Amino acid sequence: MAEALVVRNLSKRFGGLRAVQNLSFSINEGETVALIGPNGAGKTTSFHLITGFHRPDEGSVTAFGREIVGLRPHDICAHGLARTFQVARPFGGMTVLANVMTGAFLRDKRPEVACAKAYEAIEFVGLSAKAHTPARDLTTIDQRRLEMARALATEPRLLLLDEVMAGLNPSEIDQAVALVGKLSKRGLTIIIVEHVMRAIMAVARHIVVLDHGQKIAEGGPKEIVKNQEVVRAYLGSGYVHVATAGET
Amino acid sequence: MLETVVQAVINGLLIGGIYALVSIGVTLIFGVVKIVNFAQGEFVMIGMYISYFLATYFGIDPLLSLAISMPVLFVIGVGLQHFLIRRVLGLGDMPQIFLTFALSLLLMNVALLLFTANYRTLHTSYSDLALHFAGLYVPVAKLVAFILAMVLSGILRVFLHSTDMGKAMRAAAQKPEVAMLMGINPDRVFCVATGVSLALAGAAGSLLMPFYPASPTAGQVFVLMAFVAVVLGTLGNIKGALIASLMMGIAESLGIQFVGADSGLIVVFAMLLLTLAFRPNGVAGGSAR
Amino acid sequence: MQRLCSPAFIGLAALAGVLIVLPLVVTSHFAIDICIRILLFAFIGVAWNLMGGYAKQLSLGHAAYFGLGAYTSTIMQIKFGISPWIGMLAGGVVAMLASLPIGAVCFRLRGPYFAIATIATAQVLMLLFLKFRDFAWGAEGTTIPNLGNTPLMMQFEAKAPYYYIALAMLALGLAITYRIERSWMGFYLVAIGEDEDAAEAVGVNAPQVKRNIYMISAFLTALAGTFYVQYIYFIDPNTAFNFNISVEAALVSIVGGIGTLWGPVIGTVLLEVTSALLQSWLGSGLGGVQLTVYSLILISVILWRPTGLLGVFTDAYKWIVRAPPAREAAIDG
Ligand SMILES: Nc1ncnc2c1ncn2[C@@H]1O[C@H](COP(=O)(O)OP(=O)(O)O)[C@@H](O)[C@H]1O
Ligand SMILES: [Mg+2]
Repeated sequence: MAEALVVRNLSKRFGGLRAVQNLSFSINEGETVALIGPNGAGKTTSFHLITGFHRPDEGSVTAFGREIVGLRPHDICAHGLARTFQVARPFGGMTVLANVMTGAFLRDKRPEVACAKAYEAIEFVGLSAKAHTPARDLTTIDQRRLEMARALATEPRLLLLDEVMAGLNPSEIDQAVALVGKLSKRGLTIIIVEHVMRAIMAVARHIVVLDHGQKIAEGGPKEIVKNQEVVRAYLGSGYVHVATAGET
Repeated sequence: MLETVVQAVINGLLIGGIYALVSIGVTLIFGVVKIVNFAQGEFVMIGMYISYFLATYFGIDPLLSLAISMPVLFVIGVGLQHFLIRRVLGLGDMPQIFLTFALSLLLMNVALLLFTANYRTLHTSYSDLALHFAGLYVPVAKLVAFILAMVLSGILRVFLHSTDMGKAMRAAAQKPEVAMLMGINPDRVFCVATGVSLALAGAAGSLLMPFYPASPTAGQVFVLMAFVAVVLGTLGNIKGALIASLMMGIAESLGIQFVGADSGLIVVFAMLLLTLAFRPNGVAGGSAR
Repeated sequence: MQRLCSPAFIGLAALAGVLIVLPLVVTSHFAIDICIRILLFAFIGVAWNLMGGYAKQLSLGHAAYFGLGAYTSTIMQIKFGISPWIGMLAGGVVAMLASLPIGAVCFRLRGPYFAIATIATAQVLMLLFLKFRDFAWGAEGTTIPNLGNTPLMMQFEAKAPYYYIALAMLALGLAITYRIERSWMGFYLVAIGEDEDAAEAVGVNAPQVKRNIYMISAFLTALAGTFYVQYIYFIDPNTAFNFNISVEAALVSIVGGIGTLWGPVIGTVLLEVTSALLQSWLGSGLGGVQLTVYSLILISVILWRPTGLLGVFTDAYKWIVRAPPAREAAIDG
């Protein structure tokens, strides 16, 4: 199978802090991969590096056969990589529909077409009833949905989701898991950053574990849960045990 | 030739001390309250008029009326923060920029109505005194203003580093959450920061009075200089603002000496624009947060 | 057909009709002069609003483009005898080109520091023109030779033609805004104004969009500059690059409704009428009254109605018509 994303030796420092060190991993097309690790491990920074919001100090990122380090975020989005932000960043003054249309305009500049596509994406994430609500009036959870719809409207081939399930109740998590499953079925490649272990187990076939900016383990869900180093990383930082994190 | 350069540098340095007071005030509000105060120059102007009228009607020397202009402006600053700025915090750029901008217009034009556009100069016993040495010329009024400006900056530094309130301000400037955790009421911190900032502007006004005419628009040059200095010296950084202000004073003075009397500002603005053009990531905020 | 019967269309047609016959009815020079000022500043506001309102790039230096337009056409006219009609377009192009390096520098900054940098650019241009004695008359400026009634040189004996030119410019500005508002460009501008990083994340080339809208805004502002100096027959750096032009451009939009089609128009009408009333009550002797009142209005709007006064009118309209709240469908219009 073709590789969707190849990350090689990616590093980023903030002053003296090594936020990401020598990170390498790759994802095949159509695969869903989870990126996990305690808070401050460098997951969000990795997303910033891949999507062009930060420039890596070293390393390369190849997406669908093209080197994307050095491209601007909008170029990377046009190349088929769409992301959400850990803290949702909707265009507050615009309606849900207008938000999502903004994403849809990337592929087609005609308003009617963008509008139709936007409605489709809004329906997909289950926000139809609020299509005409200003984004700033949405709940946090709906804002995350909106961000997903906006990302989907850009017709990505690779979707990067940063903690979209944080703060959801169990039934909402089930919905979100189903949503991610549906996207994956459509052939979308997905990288998901998540703390909810139950959700990770349900969606990801492959897991990459980060701690202090470094990859400390990689493998299938079963292996990862048993991996001593992973358990230590979570406990060591005073974090909830991975296996129980889903219940909090 | 060398003498001319040294003389220009001295002139620039001396006025740079005043720019520093204004810049430090701007950068202090920006650092703590995250507001750019477009009206800072008008508070310098108010300081000038306070000293002017105290001198004209009560014969109080402008250097003494510092002790009045600073507290008065401190109180105005607290009121400004409490009644106006507080209401636009967190509302985005537009209200924040245009509130203080409108205030600047208001104060300038009210001053115009009250005091007319006439320039008012104050003649003190030391206005014409100057030190002469090695062919150089140092006006006493400017020297005293410079020294007092540096003393006030020093006092501010001590205040920021050794009082609880000062520490809270520095914490607020770096990490607002942390300041909150320290159990200090952010409103009070903001009020004091704005008050101190305006007091510095008032001090600048009083110190200027012995050698600089007061007029409703007198503050504009100073606030423009302050903005440039604050941008050059990295936002929210007091030491940076101080050094940049002194440099700007010198640059302006060299510009006046070697390019022409009305070229001081061009040199300064050119400095700003060139710095902006050549600083790779801009100065106020990178791409991602 | 249905569209032609919509209240909005009928209202617009009525407004256009009134504006077109107005100079035939109003003969007072004072009144028509105020109308011309309103149209002109509404136009400048509309030009500012494209960038400052929709994309929230709060420029306080639009006088730079006003002045460049004014000087380009005047220099072409006086030194080379070229008609200001051509000079007007040339001025627009000069302003557009000037906006590229200015934007390249200023767009590195965000928020208040962007505003400060734009003030600096306009000031630098003014200071430069004060120095250009040889080809731009330095600080003294120059009067524009009065050729009598020569429409081809944009000179008229009556005031009405000036009125119609200003009206046409405003109509042009509004038409451009209307088109942009409804296209992808409008969405991109608002998105950039809301959150530039998030906009980039969904494929918006923010630097390019900002550059383009800045060029359009600069072009339009320059047209106003040419018109203004032709109207007053005089130019000097202090008139052409006056800071008050930058201020008023932003002010009318904010007071009326920032980032809305009609906001700058409402804002200008309000401010200019206020200022005319003040002038007739107090005489023009009291400098400072106008700006005092302007700034008080601005402060009140910011504190009580930061979205501008246009909203008050639309709310009132909805209340009168008792229409169900308009669904803010993005492209229903
Ligand atoms: N812009 C930044 N400047 C300085 N430090 C940062 C910045 N962004 C992230 N960091 C630091 O880098 C580390 C990794 O952060 P992040 O990638 O957000 O972790 P995660 O998403 O895994 O919780 C943290 O220690 C964080 O404080
Ligand atoms: Mg994170």
